[in-house]
Amino acid sequence: MSKKILAVDDDPDIIVFVKTVLEENGYEPLIARNGESGLIMARAEKPSLILLDVLMPKQSGIRMYRELKSDPELKDIPVIILSGIAKRTFLRSQEALTEFGDEPVPDPSAYIEKPVDPRELAETIARFVK
Amino acid sequence: MMENRLLLIDDEEAILRVLSISLRHEGYVVFTALNGKEALQVFERENPGIVLTDLKMPGMDGLQVLRRIKEINPDTEVIVITGHGDMDSAIDALRYGASDFINKPVRDEALRIALDRAREKRELRRQLQAYTTDLEQMCRLATEEVRRKSEFQDKLITSSNDGVVATDERGLIILFNPGAEKIFGYSRREIVEKVGFEEIYPEDVAEEFRSGFRRKRDKRGWGWKEVSIRGKGGEAVPVRFSGTLLYEGEKVIGSVGFFQDLREIKRLQRELVQSERLAAIGQTVARLAHYIKNILTGLQGGMYVVNIGLDKDDMDKLKAGWTMVQRNIGRVSDLVMDLLTYSKEREPEYRECYPNQIAEDVCELMEVKAAQNQIALVRDFDSAIGRVSMDPGAVHRCLLNLVSNAIDACLFDLSENKSWKVSVRTGREGENAVSFQVTDNGAGMTADVKKKLFSAFFSTKGGKGTGLGLLVTHKLVQENGGRIEVESEPGKGSTFTLHFPYRREDGGGSGSEPLAAKEH
Repeated sequence: MSKKILAVDDDPDIIVFVKTVLEENGYEPLIARNGESGLIMARAEKPSLILLDVLMPKQSGIRMYRELKSDPELKDIPVIILSGIAKRTFLRSQEALTEFGDEPVPDPSAYIEKPVDPRELAETIARFVK
Repeated sequence: MMENRLLLIDDEEAILRVLSISLRHEGYVVFTALNGKEALQVFERENPGIVLTDLKMPGMDGLQVLRRIKEINPDTEVIVITGHGDMDSAIDALRYGASDFINKPVRDEALRIALDRAREKRELRRQLQAYTTDLEQMCRLATEEVRRKSEFQDKLITSSNDGVVATDERGLIILFNPGAEKIFGYSRREIVEKVGFEEIYPEDVAEEFRSGFRRKRDKRGWGWKEVSIRGKGGEAVPVRFSGTLLYEGEKVIGSVGFFQDLREIKRLQRELVQSERLAAIGQTVARLAHYIKNILTGLQGGMYVVNIGLDKDDMDKLKAGWTMVQRNIGRVSDLVMDLLTYSKEREPEYRECYPNQIAEDVCELMEVKAAQNQIALVRDFDSAIGRVSMDPGAVHRCLLNLVSNAIDACLFDLSENKSWKVSVRTGREGENAVSFQVTDNGAGMTADVKKKLFSAFFSTKGGKGTGLGLLVTHKLVQENGGRIEVESEPGKGSTFTLHFPYRREDGGGSGSEPLAAKEH
C-alpha cells in the first residue's frame, strides 16, 4: 500500500504539480486547500508526511503548523514546508508566536523554497517519510 | 587731606618767629627762611603747598622768589606780604601768579582768611585733576569697549553665511558682506558706495524697499519669503529674503536685507525626492519580480506535469499540466496589460455595449474561486440599463479588479463563523452615467489603509499582490471621466462604487467634458 502524503496549499498550480510529483514517486496524495481542512484531514488520515505552504490567507499555514506540533497525536508526523518566503523569515515568525506565550515548537523536518524542483522534492520526501 | 605745609619767608627774624608760632598753633607745619636763596633751598627740599613771602627783601626780593617758585611747582599757592600802600607790587605779584596779598602789619584774621582760601584753591585743583584723570581713564575704557564691540559686529556680519546688504537712506549700498558676494556674484568693491539697491535686487524685493522709503511710514521688518536672485553671471539663485528699514526715531536712516542661500537646501531636497523615488521604484521592481517569479513557478510546474503526461502517455496529466501553463500565461498577459495601461496615456475606446452583460461576465469569471471558498456571489443588476456607448474594456478591467479584491477581502478576514458575501450591483445615475457597486462583508480597511489605497503599488496581499490593481482601476476611471468612491469598516467589510459616464446610444451629448470633446 502506498504511503499517504498530505499536501496543503491554496494555489491550484502547486496542488497539481505536487500531486503529480507524489504520484510519480508512488505515494498517495491527499489534498487540502487551507490549514483548517488540512488539520481535519491530518487527524482523519494520519499521513506519513505533510507538505505545507505557509503563505496562505489568515496565516492558516503557520497556525496549522503550530497545531500539528502541539498535538501529541500529530507531532511526530514529519512536515516539509514549501514556501515563497525565506526560511529565516518563517523561523522568525515562529519565534514571534512563541513570544506571545505559546510553547516553542520544533523546526520543520525540511524547508524548501519555491520554485520547487521535482527531484529535490522527491528526495527530501524520501529522506523523512515514515 | 588739605595742605598744611607752609614756607614762611621774611628778612625780619622777629616777624618770622611770631608768625611761625602763631601758624604752628593753627596746626600748620611751618618752614622758615630769611632770604630768597635760603627759601628756594628749603622749598626744593620740602616742597610745601603754600608759601608766604615778604615782598621787600634784600638780595632776591619776593617777586623773584615768587617767579622761581612758580617755575619749580606752578601749583604752589603763594601769598605775598606787601608794604603799607604798595599796590603796584601787589598787582605785579598777582600778575606773576600769586594767589593773594596781605598788607603789613599782618593781622591774624586777614592771614587766616588768605590761608584758608589758598588751601581751598589747592584742594579744588587737586580734586579737579583727579576727576579729570578719572574721566580720561573712563573715556579710554569706553572707547576701547566701543571699538571692541564694533569689531565684533563687523566680524559677525562678515562671517555670516547669509548675505547682508545695507543701504543708506537714499538706497545706496553701504554694506555688502561676503555672504552677499557669494549670492549676488559681485565683489564688495563693485558694489559698496557705487550701486543702489535697485540695480541688483529682484523687482519684487526692490519694490518692497521702494515703497517703504517712499511712504517713510513705519515699515519695520517683513518676514521671510522665497525669491530668486539673478546673479552677476545671469544664473538664478534661490534665496529666502527678509528685510527692514532702519530708523533713528521717526527718521529713516537706511535699510537692510538678509538673504539666505537656498541652493544647498534645494539640492538636498531634490536629492531626497530623487532617492525616495528610487527607493519606491526599487521596492516596486522587487515586488513585481517576486510576482513574476511566482508565475514562472507555475509555468515550470505546468511544464513538468505536461512532460510526465507525454512520457507516460497520460492524457489526464497532459491536460492538467497544459491548463497550468495556460493559466499562468494568462497571468503574465494580465500583468503586462496592467503595466502598459498604467504607464501609458490612454484614450477611452467607446463602443456600444451592455453594462449588465459586462458585470455578468466578470461574475462568471470569479464564480469558481468564490464557490471554492464558500463565498456567495450575488448579482443585482438594474434592468433599466440597456445599451450605451462606453469603453467596455475599461469597465471590465475595473470591475474584475474590484470583485477579485472583494473575494480576497473575505479570504483574508479573520472572523469566524461568517457567511461571506460579495454582491455586484448596477444602477442608472441620471441621464448619463452608470454606477457599479461591489460590496463585501470581509476584512474591511482601517482609515490608514484607505488613505493609501490608490497610491503607487500599495498592496495588503503580501507576496500575492502587485499593488497594480487599484492603481490601474483608478487611472481607467479617471480617463473615462468617472469617479470612484470607497467606504469601509474594519471587520465589517467594504463597498467600492464606480461611476462611469456614458453617451446615449443615439450619440448625443453626455455630462462630462472629456467625452464631449471627442468625436465618436
